[in-house]
Amino acid sequence: MNRSPKPYSDPYVAGVGLGAVLLGSYVLVGRGLGASGAFSSVVAAGAALTMGTERASSSAAMSPYLTHGFTSPLHDWLVLELLGAAVGGFLSAYFAGRLKVRMERGAHITSRSRLVWAVFGGVLMGFGAKLARGCTSGQALTGGALLSVGSWIFIATCFAAAYLLSPFAKRLWL
Amino acid sequence: MIAPFTSSGSISETGALIAAPLIGVGFGWFLERGGLGNAPKLAAQFYLTDLRVFKVMFSALLTAMIGAFWLDRLGLLDLSLVSLPDTFLVPQAVGGVLFGAGFLIAGLCPGTTCVAAATGRVDGLGVLGGLFAGVIFFDLNYGRLEHFYLSTPREGFTLPHLIGASEGVTVAIITVVALAGFVLAERIERSRA
Amino acid sequence: MNRLHRTLAIAAATLGCTAAVAGRRPTTDPSVLATEIDRETDHVSALDLAEQIMRNDADLRLYDLRSAAEYEEFHIPRAQRTTVTDLTRTTLPANAKIVLYSTGGAHAAQAWVLLRMRGFRNVSFLREGAYEWTARVLQPQLAVDATAAERAEFERAKPMSRFFGGTARTGVARAEVLQGYWTGAANDGSSVTTAGATSVVRRQGC
Repeated sequence: MNRSPKPYSDPYVAGVGLGAVLLGSYVLVGRGLGASGAFSSVVAAGAALTMGTERASSSAAMSPYLTHGFTSPLHDWLVLELLGAAVGGFLSAYFAGRLKVRMERGAHITSRSRLVWAVFGGVLMGFGAKLARGCTSGQALTGGALLSVGSWIFIATCFAAAYLLSPFAKRLWL
Repeated sequence: MIAPFTSSGSISETGALIAAPLIGVGFGWFLERGGLGNAPKLAAQFYLTDLRVFKVMFSALLTAMIGAFWLDRLGLLDLSLVSLPDTFLVPQAVGGVLFGAGFLIAGLCPGTTCVAAATGRVDGLGVLGGLFAGVIFFDLNYGRLEHFYLSTPREGFTLPHLIGASEGVTVAIITVVALAGFVLAERIERSRA
Repeated sequence: MNRLHRTLAIAAATLGCTAAVAGRRPTTDPSVLATEIDRETDHVSALDLAEQIMRNDADLRLYDLRSAAEYEEFHIPRAQRTTVTDLTRTTLPANAKIVLYSTGGAHAAQAWVLLRMRGFRNVSFLREGAYEWTARVLQPQLAVDATAAERAEFERAKPMSRFFGGTARTGVARAEVLQGYWTGAANDGSSVTTAGATSVVRRQGC
């Protein structure tokens, strides 16, 4: 399979599609989308596996994710949803010829540097999403559409911080 | 009120778990279609050369917000039964700043990272690892953070309450602001082309 | 702006802006509720409730609105503890048969209104709360000078009392029979002494 990659869809159309999925989620299961929560679930389950459910549940940070004794990540809604997202992303890329094993990076940075910064960015986001009780999917999109003040605060501070810091990250992307 | 289906009994708890990956497939599909599985494209948002992050996100937000409002208004969906994300004002503001910094540096967010990794992008795997590390770091320091983490809770605090308007008026205001944002985005992109 | 974008924008603008003048979702009309209150169709008797529990009705959702301590000391089988606030937010199937009880009935009655406003059709409450359960189901008494109606009710309650682990008593002096609206007592329960009521409840010990 060596087709040339098709251009991306119109962002507005993709956005409406995404919004329809989000709305469908409200209608079907009474909740919206999410991503960062799945990471917390997996960490908690991993802890329960390695040190036992008792010790893991004694951690105030992890106990909410272990309410049913050892909650296997597979039993958690967000984890299942995120696995589905991986599949959905794969399928979309497959049909558009956009599957490619590569390190996406700015033009003037090495692959190694890119990887290091990617990890570092992930750490900041993982920590920030815990504080914010969600990320762009769970808070900005889901909470934003439900008019939650906290979600809109998250949207504002997230974008503001990124824009204000962008001059310092030019090397990564431009 | 037929929806949420899990509240009216049409979908059981198991059914909800089955629906999860299906909903996820739709989620991932449209993220990739919109080009959000590609870090340099995402980061271009912050250099004003490609504003698709804003366009996709706010088109999605408008669609879901307007759709949810009307379904509720017509008595088909009980919005009061849809889970509202938790609200803790100050931690969310601070979390937003950290998240935004990470987002700029990584070029991907948790959801789009999964899409990127699934489509072969190695940098996506790096972000995944970092996300886990960030969560673990938080959990390890929870004791120190707990007081701050739990500060300024505001359960059920929505924009209508904040601005003293009805849900409908709030929806209208956000719609107008978002549409104006789209017009502005097109102008900015055109001037940069 | 191309045609597609224009179409999307017009659709969004129309649907989004008309939301401003859409008003609120119609909730149950207050006069409907008022009629039910006057006709007393908002109540369920302890005996009818007992039947639902014995039948193992899957749609039954029984809620106890008293304090945690009171619930721990004694609650009606199958009752879950909750608060009025939680009830306004709780996820329930639309066809749930919701029954509420509190100590005196005030909180149960208030929660009844809020749940009916939320659109639930099948909501009722025990008019005299946990006390009514104890007096009519767990510890039914037959007065020495019982009327035919009282005798019939006692016969109905006897197997229920047995089922729930209580004791039915006959040959009780009229003055000792636990009073309530079902014996024609005053609405405010003034003929029931608090001590008498709680001592009955305590004897259950469950």
